[in-house]
Parts: sequence; structure tokens; C-alpha cells
Amino acid sequence: MKLAEIISRLDLRLISGASDAEVRGCYISDLLSDVLAHAHPGVLWVTIQTHHNVVSVAAMKEVAGVLITCGRRPDPAVLAEAQEEQIAILATPLSTFEAAGKLWELL
Amino acid sequence: MRLASRPQAKSPGRRRAMSLRTENLTPSRDAGGVSLAQILVYELRVRDAMTPKLRVAAPGDSLRSVQLLMKEHRISGVPIVRDGALLGLVSIEDIVHALDKGHINDPVEARMTRNLVVVRDHYSLVRAVAEFDRFGFGRFPVLDAGDRLVGILTRGDITSALMLHLERRAEEAVRREAERTAAAAPPDEAARRMVLNAKVRAGDFDGAGKLSQRLRQILRARGVDPNIRRRATIIAYEAETNLIIHSIGGRLTATVGPDRIVIEAVDQGPGIENVELALRDGWSTAGPLARKLGFGAGMGLPNIRRSADHFDVKSGLLEGTRLHAEVFLQSPRAP
Repeated sequence: MKLAEIISRLDLRLISGASDAEVRGCYISDLLSDVLAHAHPGVLWVTIQTHHNVVSVAAMKEVAGVLITCGRRPDPAVLAEAQEEQIAILATPLSTFEAAGKLWELL
Repeated sequence: MRLASRPQAKSPGRRRAMSLRTENLTPSRDAGGVSLAQILVYELRVRDAMTPKLRVAAPGDSLRSVQLLMKEHRISGVPIVRDGALLGLVSIEDIVHALDKGHINDPVEARMTRNLVVVRDHYSLVRAVAEFDRFGFGRFPVLDAGDRLVGILTRGDITSALMLHLERRAEEAVRREAERTAAAAPPDEAARRMVLNAKVRAGDFDGAGKLSQRLRQILRARGVDPNIRRRATIIAYEAETNLIIHSIGGRLTATVGPDRIVIEAVDQGPGIENVELALRDGWSTAGPLARKLGFGAGMGLPNIRRSADHFDVKSGLLEGTRLHAEVFLQSPRAP
């Protein structure tokens, strides 16, 4: 499924990058090393982390996008970095649990 | 007084064009903006540039025989010598004059140019150049300290000598450089392969990921397989964040060899208390700040070990930690 479709179904906000990636699954974790160890390329990574290392890890794992839950927003500097790395970052007021439930239905 | 080889000095334009201005010969520069050619004109002597093999004639020879000598050897001036001592010079101009006046069969002694301006074989070339500029002659007979004729010098000879010596110096420099490069090949090669070598500051959470990001870009630019690239980058990232979270500061290096990528993280301490425990998934000593930022999952070293094809960590509480990980370029498994 295209990231754009998930954005419209979950009413997410795209705050950096583009929405044309193909999403091949989902991975949920707030531990960066855990994502590095277990996330597959092309997944949508759901997290509450907003630190700029999220961008590094997302770029390293070549995820389709990063969904930041609970209404949290990264700093503008982190968004600029994500923009530069062409990492799609999405924001939602939903909790991780709620977002995960909706994603489970879609993917 | 008629002087030797006047014809070449008659046209001022030509003379200027031929004049050897040393500052124009600047193929290479030495210290202080002095060209090598400028040094050479001081170093080289007239004897280094002159033509030593000479066609000469005796005072009793006829002008006709000198004319034939000039024609045969395509020369424009013949020194007149008795017992090695220079008596005079017959130039083409003298021959033309003799033909014109009908005394071409006279002995040269009667018609040759005397009172020659000469240069000495020990003169520096810069002095010879000054003599050419001063008199405007095309050539100078060269005498040694015993007044014996030892050669002849033209502006062309000076240019040729300079070019030859510049070439020799250049070849020498190239040879020396090649030798130096050959001698220094291993470290040079190592330096070329080391694609990353940077200090990592303790507690620099904001800088975390910068080096591994750079490594990722370098490996991508080199066309390294994505899976290999990803594993190498994960190792670099975990090693980098380990230095930031746990060490008092260290250094991260990455080397791309022909068959493997080697990543090393070396710190000055405090060292890992129990390496075996640290290698266990989920075991972490990270502080609350690191944990809040998503670090400290207790997965750093296990991640590195999982991603590496060869892994080694040595640590002591006094000497710090040295981590060595290798990713083989021929093993494209996913992380």
C-alpha cells in the first residue's frame, strides 16, 4: 500500500518528505537499536521518539516512513534533517495503540 | 673594428625575440618565487652549454677552403687557430665580402676578424647571457684559462642547456617522487582506504548518528551492496552511540579494504565491567537521559555482533574499550 493512502485513511499529517513510498509492513518500537536490529526496509515505523536519531535510524533502515504518535512533534531542525534525507515523517494525535490498531486493519 | 658574426645582431626585433630573458623561463618554481631556470643560469657554466667539437681552420688556409667547410658543415663561422690558440674568426659575412671583392683565394690570416670578444669556459651562463645582450653577437668563441679555444657558444646552446638540465631535474624529481611514493605505499594505501576517522565526544547525543550517516553515504557512493552497507552502518551507529553514552570519549574509524569493511571504536575508558553481560540482549547500563532519547535498549553490542562477519571487543577498566568489527564484502546477508 502506498504511504499516501495510509495518510488519507488514518488522517495523518505529512510533516517532511514525500508520500509516494510503498509500505511493506509496520514496526513499532521506541528503542532505536531495536529498530536497527529488527525493522525491515520499507516498513512504516511507529514511535513516540522525536529525537534526530530517529532520522539516522530511519535512513539507515530505509523505512517507508516514520509515524510519530501521541501528538508529538520533532524540532524544526530534526524535520530539516529528515527533509534532507528524504525521510517521510508523519504525525498523528492517536496513541501508538490506536494507530497500530488501524494499521493492523489496513496492512 | 669588425666583430664576429655581426649579421645576427642587425635586426633589433629579431634580437629581442632571441634574447634569453631568464625570467621568462619559468617551468618550475623553487623557494621564494625564484624559478629553477634562474637558479640554473647561475649554476651552469659556459663549458656546460658550449659546443665543444669545432670546425676550425689554420691561418694559412684559403678563404675558399673555409667557404667549403661552412657549406659542408652548415656553419656560419669558423675560428682560425694555430696550436690551439685562437687568432681570429671568419664569418659568412667575411666570405661574402671576399667573393664580392675577388680575394676569396687569399689566406684567411689576411682577411679574418681579429680582436674577438670571447667568453671564458668558467663563466656562469647568466654572465654569458649578459654578454650576448651587451654585444648582440650570435656566437662567442670560448677560451679556457690558458687562452686555448675549447668551444663555441650560441644563444641556442644556452637555451638547449637550460632545457636539458630542467628536463634532467624534472626527471630526477619524478624519479624521487616515485621512489618516495613506492616507499610510502603501505601507509598511503591505508590512508586511502580509511574512509572515516573521527573523534566522538562523550554525551554528544545531538551528534549521534552523524558519523554512521557519513559512512552510509560513502558506502553508497562506492556502490557497496545495500545489505552490506546497512550492516556496516548499523555497526558504526551502535559503536558511535556507545562511545557517546558510555565512554569518556573516543574515536571511530572505518576502513574499506578490497574484501572487507573494518569498523573500529576505541575509547579511553571507563571500560566495560562485564563484556559477557554487555553482549547479552537487553542488558544496559545507560543513564536515564540516554534511555529517554531511545538509547540504552541494551542492544548495541548484540546488534554489532549480529551485523558483523567478524567481531571482537576488548575492554578493561583501566585501558578502555577497543571494538573491532568486520563486514565481508562477499557476504551480502541482510542485517
